[in-house]
Amino acid sequence: MKLNSEQIIDKSLKLVVCFFVASAGLWLLAAALFAYISAAKLTDPFFLSSFEYFTYGKIKLAQANAFVYGWGGNSIFAVTLWIVARLAQTESRGRVLVIFAGIIWNLAITFGLLGILDGHMTPHEMLEMPAEVWPALFISYCVIAFFIVVVHRSRKNKETIAPQWFLLSSLLWFPMLFLIAWNGLEINPARGTVQSVLSMWFGQSLIWLWLTPVALGAAYYIIPAILGRAIDKYYLAVFGFWCIATLAPWSVVHHLEGGPVPMWIPAIGTVMSIAMIFPIAVASTNFHSTAFLDISKVWDSLPLRFVIFGTLSYTISSYIGVIFSLPSVAKITQFSIINDFHFNQRVYGFFSMIIFGMVYYILPKITGNEIAKGAKAFHFWTSAFGVLILLLAYLIGGLTHGVLAQQPSLSWASSVISSVMPYFLITELAFIVLGFSQLVFVINVWKAIIPNPFAFWTCGDSQSKPETSA
Amino acid sequence: MNNLLKFTIGIFLSLGVAWLAFVVGARAQFGDLSPSSQNLDDDGNIPLDADLYPLPLSGTAEQGSKEYLALGCMTCHTQQVRMVEAGFDVERGWGQRPSVARDYIHQEHVLLGNTRIGPDLANVGRRQPDLEWLHKHLFEPQSLVPQSLCPPSPFLYDQVDQSSDKSITVVDDSNISRFIVPSIRAKRLVSYIRSLHQDYELPEMAFVINEEDEPDEAAGKENLLDFDSNQSSLPSWLDTQIASGKEIYMKAAPGGGLCFTCHQPTGEGLAGQFPPLAGSDWVLGDKERLIKISIYGLMGEIEVNGIKYNNVMAPPGIPPGSLTDQQIADVLTYIRNDWGNSASAVTSLEVSAVRSQIKGRAPMQMWTAAELNAVDE
Amino acid sequence: MTKKNNNNQSQGLMSDQDMVEIHSKLNVDKHPPTKGFLIAPLVFVFVFGCLIFVCSIQLAHSTNQFQLHPPTEIVVLTEEEKESLRIERKIESGKKVFAVRCASCHQANGLGIQGQYPPLAGSKWVTSDPALISNIILKGLKGEITVKGEVYGTSAAVNMAAVPITDREIANVTTYVRSAWGNTASEITEEEVSFFRADSEDQVEQWTGTQLVEMFPSVFSN
Repeated sequence: MKLNSEQIIDKSLKLVVCFFVASAGLWLLAAALFAYISAAKLTDPFFLSSFEYFTYGKIKLAQANAFVYGWGGNSIFAVTLWIVARLAQTESRGRVLVIFAGIIWNLAITFGLLGILDGHMTPHEMLEMPAEVWPALFISYCVIAFFIVVVHRSRKNKETIAPQWFLLSSLLWFPMLFLIAWNGLEINPARGTVQSVLSMWFGQSLIWLWLTPVALGAAYYIIPAILGRAIDKYYLAVFGFWCIATLAPWSVVHHLEGGPVPMWIPAIGTVMSIAMIFPIAVASTNFHSTAFLDISKVWDSLPLRFVIFGTLSYTISSYIGVIFSLPSVAKITQFSIINDFHFNQRVYGFFSMIIFGMVYYILPKITGNEIAKGAKAFHFWTSAFGVLILLLAYLIGGLTHGVLAQQPSLSWASSVISSVMPYFLITELAFIVLGFSQLVFVINVWKAIIPNPFAFWTCGDSQSKPETSA
Repeated sequence: MNNLLKFTIGIFLSLGVAWLAFVVGARAQFGDLSPSSQNLDDDGNIPLDADLYPLPLSGTAEQGSKEYLALGCMTCHTQQVRMVEAGFDVERGWGQRPSVARDYIHQEHVLLGNTRIGPDLANVGRRQPDLEWLHKHLFEPQSLVPQSLCPPSPFLYDQVDQSSDKSITVVDDSNISRFIVPSIRAKRLVSYIRSLHQDYELPEMAFVINEEDEPDEAAGKENLLDFDSNQSSLPSWLDTQIASGKEIYMKAAPGGGLCFTCHQPTGEGLAGQFPPLAGSDWVLGDKERLIKISIYGLMGEIEVNGIKYNNVMAPPGIPPGSLTDQQIADVLTYIRNDWGNSASAVTSLEVSAVRSQIKGRAPMQMWTAAELNAVDE
Repeated sequence: MTKKNNNNQSQGLMSDQDMVEIHSKLNVDKHPPTKGFLIAPLVFVFVFGCLIFVCSIQLAHSTNQFQLHPPTEIVVLTEEEKESLRIERKIESGKKVFAVRCASCHQANGLGIQGQYPPLAGSKWVTSDPALISNIILKGLKGEITVKGEVYGTSAAVNMAAVPITDREIANVTTYVRSAWGNTASEITEEEVSFFRADSEDQVEQWTGTQLVEMFPSVFSN
């Protein structure tokens, strides 16, 4: 049977993308386990407390790093490799090196997490893995990024569109951010709170400039691909992109309000963070006005269900985030568990949901194995439910936490913390639900990659079925 | 957008300008601060003879900061007092003034933190300097604050069966006592926690509230964490004993031990002549040995902190020195708790016990170091 | 506003090639002229403008002109306050010097040791002529002296040696002892001490008590 050009590209990407998706799934489970343990420790401090390797601080940081670098990194590689190759209409290059780099990336994170649990963490936000693994992370990333750029350069159509801008920018921003942080925090650090500024700048930029553009780019790809119509008001996309590019690096430092840094730093951060309303509105317009033109189709397509859930979450939560960056609100909520709300809404509610949608779209194409619609729907409902109660718990809990903390007459442990305790219980429940739903996802994914584990040696036969959307 | 080179340059610039401001610019503005005095003179210079703040951390506290980092404490605790307009930190009694950049210049790794599941720690050394309380809190926070979410760190302590002068007693609700001995890691961590205080002014930030106006919590009078503690950071009986012991130490006879004349008010002794008491194992170690010396005195060669001394210490505890058991107990408790020393108190019962044990000893037969150490074995 | 690709619409999918072509055209093609205004761009421009305006005001308001430190009240000290602050610092510094170099003999409470080291509290050797106490520190003291009716210095072991000490340290420590333990004598300045040092250059050995009594008759006249 003659394969069309898309199927040829898919075939070339099969091994690489499957490798990254499979690794991402495993990291997702590891992060889910850590997330559960840390949430459980908040409701019962004696849980696993006699083991020094599992103190709350270590587990929480291990979870964040496993989630962002392990799950986030691997899924970013998978999605970027695939979309860039497809839009370039070129087969992927350097596959062996890319897989090798991927193995190094995963090994580096493993050693990094072991280092955190063993007490060698650094105090830098989102860079808590010991500095010894940073070179490995950086080099393996550069190898993968190199081959993606090579594919992009040899694209058939010289015109570029929104998915490519977002994916490439994320690809290029990560090494820059990493190098700046590496230099300023480890190689040549200044003493004092200069480090805190850089640390926060890096940690938040990683979320805003590495994870977010990939999810946005994927959404810009998958919505027209499945709906069969162009993005509505697409001419805004350029504007939205450059707005994010110029505003986001400035907006991320607003969490330092009132802190021991010059006032202009958090002030600029706050102002830019408010200005971010604009690119959020642009992206939201693009996605949602396109989607709502054809809402029933969105619902029928499981990948699109995930993606639109993600984009809606992005819009609503980002606007909530803008409100929380206002100084009068930040005064109350700055150090409360609203920070967990921010982290989870972006990494879970937005990024992960879109990645789930993309993976469910990509996998059948490259492996030729369909995933049962019921299984995907089950994953969707458990995910959506888990994410919603998690975010609501952190949101309302965070507000409670902040408002009560503000009263000098309320003693800390017996009043403030015990009032927030019910929300910690809800987050523990949410993480159980989410862990379960992530297990379902990983099973779905592995069944697509290796449909018959006992016939592993015959795996590799992809039956080129015509594309279907569910 | 279609030209990859131009696109890359655009991407690079968008990050680069922010980098210039937040990394390069910030570093230029406050990457090179040095300690300053509490106020400046008319020309804006640091006056002569003024003390410079912030003070550097002691070596133990520095090691403790690494323990703090390794255990992940900054996940739940912040170490910054926000500006008054920006937060409620000063109002809550967590500091007399907002923190400024200069407060952190001695910290190799700045541990500001970004979430408060536990209270802010920027001034905890001022609010809660009590050693025993801090050790108990590290071992099991819930024994002191039942609703605390702070995870217990039993791996930092050795649990022993009996109490000794090195151990701390933890009593829980059902009145069961556990005896814990802090490991060196716990001591470092507690030393670090006690070093956390921003209780000095700087030219750029004066105290916002005075001590009289401070909420009771901050001045240690009422514990922020529901612990029923006394007026000062030490139990009152200990406070009284130390005060009384200090008086005995500094006083000439009668009623005093004349100790300061040789061992000095600073407890440092005199080089080559009188051994120091500060940091001395003879003081901090075995109580019985110390009590014996305080009754009968000491003569001959003795090695203290690696240096040999050879002198005569007149007996304070028998005529003509004649300190009573209670007075000996008080002065020994004092020397074990000043000048950086921190060890358990001595009771008059312990002194009487030792006295009756050595009843047969001839008067004016001062101890020798060899004799005291041989007795130990 | 949107262009639909009729070929693929029935399948509901868009191929990659179509996606790239269609969207690139969307970016490049101008809109066909329409009757009347296109409201949307104007709305966007207006909202964006308002946003920039509001943000700039917020920024100007809250950064203290990009200075390192937040605005603090300028505390203007009166001359008396400045003076007392200066004296306070001097005495603090002098106290440290005393603790390190003098207290081992004269004791932290300034009472000395009976028969051995004379007291400084209430002693006119300390509180009278600045030159007297400065000279004692500059050159040291040997032999017997009578302080507050008691005799000190009977043995050579308790003589006061001359030690290396700067003028500033002498000024600070003497100011301290002249105001501690109930003493209420005047401050001594660094210039005065340099003058005393130059003046007593010829004295090589320690002063004796007798010499000093002769040099300062007005102090010991009663």
